[in-house]
Amino acid sequence: MAHAMLVPARIAKGRVTSVDTGAASAVPGVLRVLTAKDYPAPPETDENGPPPPPPTILDAIAYRGQPIALVVAETIEAAIEGAEAVTARYAEEAFASKIDSKGAVREETEPREAGDGTRALADAATRIDQRYVTPTQHHNPIELIATSARLTDGKLRIHESSQYSSGVRGAVARSLGYDPATIEADSSYIGGGFGQKGSLYGYSAIVAHAARLIRRPVKLVVPRSQIFHQATFRPEAHHHVQLGADTGGKMVAAVYHAEHEQSRAGQFPPSDYHEATSRLYDIPNYQGTAANIRLDRNDPGYMRCPHPHPSCFAFESAVDELAIELGRDPVEFRLANDGMTDVLTGKPYSSKFMAECLREGARRFGWDRRTAEPGSMRSPSGGSIGWGVAVAAYPSMMVPSIGTLRVYANGRTTYSISGHEMGQGIRTSIANVLVQGLGIDPDKLEISVGNTATAPQHITAGSWGSAGAIPTTAQAVSRMQSALKQLLGGRTPRGDIHRRLASTKRPYLEVQASALGPGQDASALESLRQGGYAVAGPEYPAFTTMSYIAHFVEVEVEPRLRRVRMPRVVSVADCGRVISPRTARSQIIGGVVWAFGSALREGTEIDPRYAGYLNCDLADYVVPVNADIGEIEVDLINEPDPLANSMGLKGLGEVVMAGASAAIANAIHHATGKRIRHMPIRIEDML
Amino acid sequence: MRRFTYIAPTSREDAFSAFAAAGEGARWVAGGTNIYDLMKLDIERPAHLIDVTAIEGLDAIETGGEMLRFGTNARMADVAANETILRDYPVLSESLWKAASQQLRNMATVGANLLQRTRCLYFRNGAGGASGGAVIYPCNRREPGSGCAAIGGIDRGQAVLGASANCTAVSPGDWPVALTAMDAQVELAGPQGARAIPIAELYRLPGETPQIEFTLGDGEMITGISVPKTRAGRRSTYHKVRDRESYAFALASAAVALDMDGDTIRKAHVALGGVATVPWRSPEAEAVLAGKPLTEGLAEKAARAAFAEAKAGKLNGYKIDLGIRTLVDALSIAAERNS
Repeated sequence: MAHAMLVPARIAKGRVTSVDTGAASAVPGVLRVLTAKDYPAPPETDENGPPPPPPTILDAIAYRGQPIALVVAETIEAAIEGAEAVTARYAEEAFASKIDSKGAVREETEPREAGDGTRALADAATRIDQRYVTPTQHHNPIELIATSARLTDGKLRIHESSQYSSGVRGAVARSLGYDPATIEADSSYIGGGFGQKGSLYGYSAIVAHAARLIRRPVKLVVPRSQIFHQATFRPEAHHHVQLGADTGGKMVAAVYHAEHEQSRAGQFPPSDYHEATSRLYDIPNYQGTAANIRLDRNDPGYMRCPHPHPSCFAFESAVDELAIELGRDPVEFRLANDGMTDVLTGKPYSSKFMAECLREGARRFGWDRRTAEPGSMRSPSGGSIGWGVAVAAYPSMMVPSIGTLRVYANGRTTYSISGHEMGQGIRTSIANVLVQGLGIDPDKLEISVGNTATAPQHITAGSWGSAGAIPTTAQAVSRMQSALKQLLGGRTPRGDIHRRLASTKRPYLEVQASALGPGQDASALESLRQGGYAVAGPEYPAFTTMSYIAHFVEVEVEPRLRRVRMPRVVSVADCGRVISPRTARSQIIGGVVWAFGSALREGTEIDPRYAGYLNCDLADYVVPVNADIGEIEVDLINEPDPLANSMGLKGLGEVVMAGASAAIANAIHHATGKRIRHMPIRIEDML
Repeated sequence: MRRFTYIAPTSREDAFSAFAAAGEGARWVAGGTNIYDLMKLDIERPAHLIDVTAIEGLDAIETGGEMLRFGTNARMADVAANETILRDYPVLSESLWKAASQQLRNMATVGANLLQRTRCLYFRNGAGGASGGAVIYPCNRREPGSGCAAIGGIDRGQAVLGASANCTAVSPGDWPVALTAMDAQVELAGPQGARAIPIAELYRLPGETPQIEFTLGDGEMITGISVPKTRAGRRSTYHKVRDRESYAFALASAAVALDMDGDTIRKAHVALGGVATVPWRSPEAEAVLAGKPLTEGLAEKAARAAFAEAKAGKLNGYKIDLGIRTLVDALSIAAERNS
C-alpha cells in the first residue's frame, strides 16, 4: 500500500502556471508526484447524460485549496513531506469570497408560491418583518474523508468513506474512461456521514489514477484542514422573513426570501429553504423566493438537515416574534395555525402529527408553569430562566432498493441491500426486521450495505435510509417465509428456520425483494441499477409526506457573565412508525446536540482578504462537548403513516435537528428579552 | 512534516551535552502536546528533539517546605489533583484542570506548559503544513517582518492588553496566569549553570520583536517552579470563560487570591488570561483592592482599572467587558472561600 497526500492551491482564483515537483520527488520514499498533465482531460458531457464527474487535477483554480498535485509515497510521513515540498507559480485573479464581497453574483431561482403572499401581507392586521443570518458550517465527522484504490484481476476496487458508493464508481469510470462494470466501490463502513460524504469528490479518481500509474494500491486520508477547503459545507444563508396575521390572530401571509453562499458552478438549491417552512402551518398565501450568491469558493452542499435547519431557525424565530406581538402563548399560537393540507400542492398530508408533538412535548416539559413575561423566571442561583418552543418539518422521501436474503441450513443468514451505514444505525434497523421476522440469531446474521459488489447502491441521504431499506427488507422476510413454506410442501418440521430448511436437504434458500416509492415504476429500479438518482417525494402523486418535531428548551443565563446553559430539552417527533426505538431515540438526542452546537457554538470563519477557512481544526471550529449538554428527553408519536410506504415509516435523521436552534433562541429571548437573529449566539451577543 | 532525530537522555548532563552536540535545530520536548502539533503545522521545524521527561529527579511535587515546588516534569494532572494544592491553592489546581482535556493533562508537564505557544489562528494555520489550511498568512511571530494578518482580520480571539503594531497574539496558558498571580519563580538550568527568575520575566511583550517570546537562553531548560506559600492561597480561584464548558482556551480568565483581614483585603493577587499577549499581572487592580473591604462596587472599580489601558480591534472589544465581568466574578468567588 502506498500513501498519498494532496497539495492545495495557495490562491483563491486563477491558474497554475507551473508546478515544481523536484524537491518533492527528491524526498526519500516519494514514489511519484502527479500534476494536471498526468490526468485525462475532463470527459465530454451531454445534457441528457449523467452530470459531469467532479474534476481531478486542473490548472484552472476555482477556489482556495483545490488540489494541484498528488504526492504518492511509501509512507504517510513521506507523502506529507513531499506534499509540503511542492511549490507552484500562479496567475492570480481577483476573487469574491463572502456574500457582500465585490464580484459576488446574485442569481434568483424558481420561487415556491401559494396564493398571493405580498398582497395578503399588505392586508394583514399584524406583521413581522425581520432578517436572520445562519452561518457557514462544516460537518466535522471525527472520521476523516478517505479513499483507497487497488487494481487486481482486471478490476479497480475502491474503498471510500462515501454515502454514495455507486456515485463514486460512476464518477471514477467517467473521469478515467473505465467501464463501470470493472469497478467495485465499497463503502461498508464510513464513520459519520452527515451529508459531507454524500458528495462526490475529485480525489476518488485522482487516487484511482495514481494506483493505475504506479501499479500499487494507494490510500489517501484527507487532513481535516483540507476537508474544510475541499469538501462540501453548509453555506451561510440570509433569511428575510415577513409574516402577517389577520385580526383573529390567524397567520395569513408568509413572504420569505432566502439566499446563500454558492460556488460559481454549484448546484445546492436555495429554493429548498421553503420545503419545510411552507408545510408547518396553514398559511394560505406563501411566497418563497430564493437566490444563489455566486462566489469563488468550493461547492456548498448537504449538511445534516440541510435546508430546514437554517430555514426553521429563521422562520420559527419569526413565528415566536409574531406570537409575542399578538400576545399569544407560543404553543397555543402554533396549534391554532396547524393545517392538514400542503398549500404548495393543494394535496393532503399523508399523515401529520405536529399538533400531537406539541401537546405531548408541552405536557412532558411542564409548559403550563411558564410565565410569559421575558426575564420573569429565575433559577435558585439567580440566573435567568427561559423556556422556548419551536416546531419543524423535514421531507419524507423514498428511494428504490433491492435486497438479497439468504438463509442457510447451518444457522447463518446473509443479507445484502442498497443503503449505506453512516452512523445512523441502518444495520440495526435492518437487523431488527430480519431478526423479528425470521426468528434468527443476530450473531449469525451478516448484513452487507454500501457495497456495489453485493447490491445496487443509491445515494443514502435525505433521511431516506430506512424508507429505502426497510420496506424491501420486510418484503424479503415475507418472501423467505413463503418460499420455505412452498419448499416444505405442507410439512411442518420442528425447529427454527435453519432446521426447517435443513430438513429439505438444501444448503441455503435465497430470495430477492425490492420496493419503490409511491408513484415510482420499474424505471426507478433501472435507475438504481445504473447508480443514478431515483428519489420520490415529499410530493407524491396523491399526497405530501413530511416528518415533524416539536422541541421545548430550557436555558439558563448567568447573571454577570451571561453564559448560556441548556439544562433541559424535551423533543417529540413524528416519524410514522418507529422501526428501531433505540437508534431512533439516539438520532433525536444527536440532532438536538447538533442543533445546540449550531445555535451556540459552530461557525466557520472566512477571512475575505484570503478566501481561506481560518478555524479549520477541531480546536477552533467549536463543537459542543459533553459538559455543554443537559438532560434531553425524547419521545416518538409512533403512528404509522398509512400511505407513505408499506411499513408506515417516515424519515427521522434530519427532522430531529430542525427547529431546535430556534427553540434555543426563543428560550434566550424569554430569559433575557433579547432577540438574537443570528447563529451562532456567542458570549459577545449576550453581554 | 520534516525529518528529525529524537533522544531521551536520563540525566541533565547527558541532556545538555546532547543539546550541544545536536547543534542547530535542537529543541527540548516534554509531554509533546504542543510541539508535535506545531510540527505538523510546520511552525516548529526542529532537526533534533531532546526529550527531558526521562531525566531523573525532575518530577517532584513538594508542598512541605517554605515554598511549593514543582519539578518541571510533574504532570499537569498530578499537580491539579494534589491534595494540598486542591485545598490550599485552588487557583493553581483550577488553572490546571480547566485547561485542555484529562488525556492532555496526563501527558503535559507543568514546566513545559509555561512555553506553550499562542493559539492565534493566523499564526497556527498559516505556515503551509499539510494540516494547516490552504493559506500562507503573514505573521511576524512566525516570519519576522512579514506583517500581521490578525490586525484588520478576524481578531475575535486577539489580545486587548499588551499588543503592539506587530502582533496581537494572546498568551494561551491558564497555569502561567495563576503562577503569575502567585509570584512564582521559574528555575532554569543551562550550559552556563542554574538561575531562577520571577515568572513575569520569562515572558516578553511582542513589541518590535514578537518572534522572541521567552527570555530563555540558548540551550536553557526549565527545571522547576516554586511558589511562595501564602494564606491568600485558600481564598483563591481561577475563573475561566471560554466558547464551551470544557476543552477550550480562555476568552477571558482571572486568577485571584485574597489575603483578608476580616472583611478587609490586606493584599490581593490578580492576574488575567485570554486577554493579553503575556500572562497579565494587574498591579492596578491590586492597588484599588488593597486595604479596603470587598464590595461589588470596589470589585468593579478594580476590574475597570485592570482594563483601563485595553485597546480593542474590530471584533474583540467584547473581551474588555467580558474580562471586567470575569474579574468581578472571580473576586466574589475567591472572597466567599474559607480561609
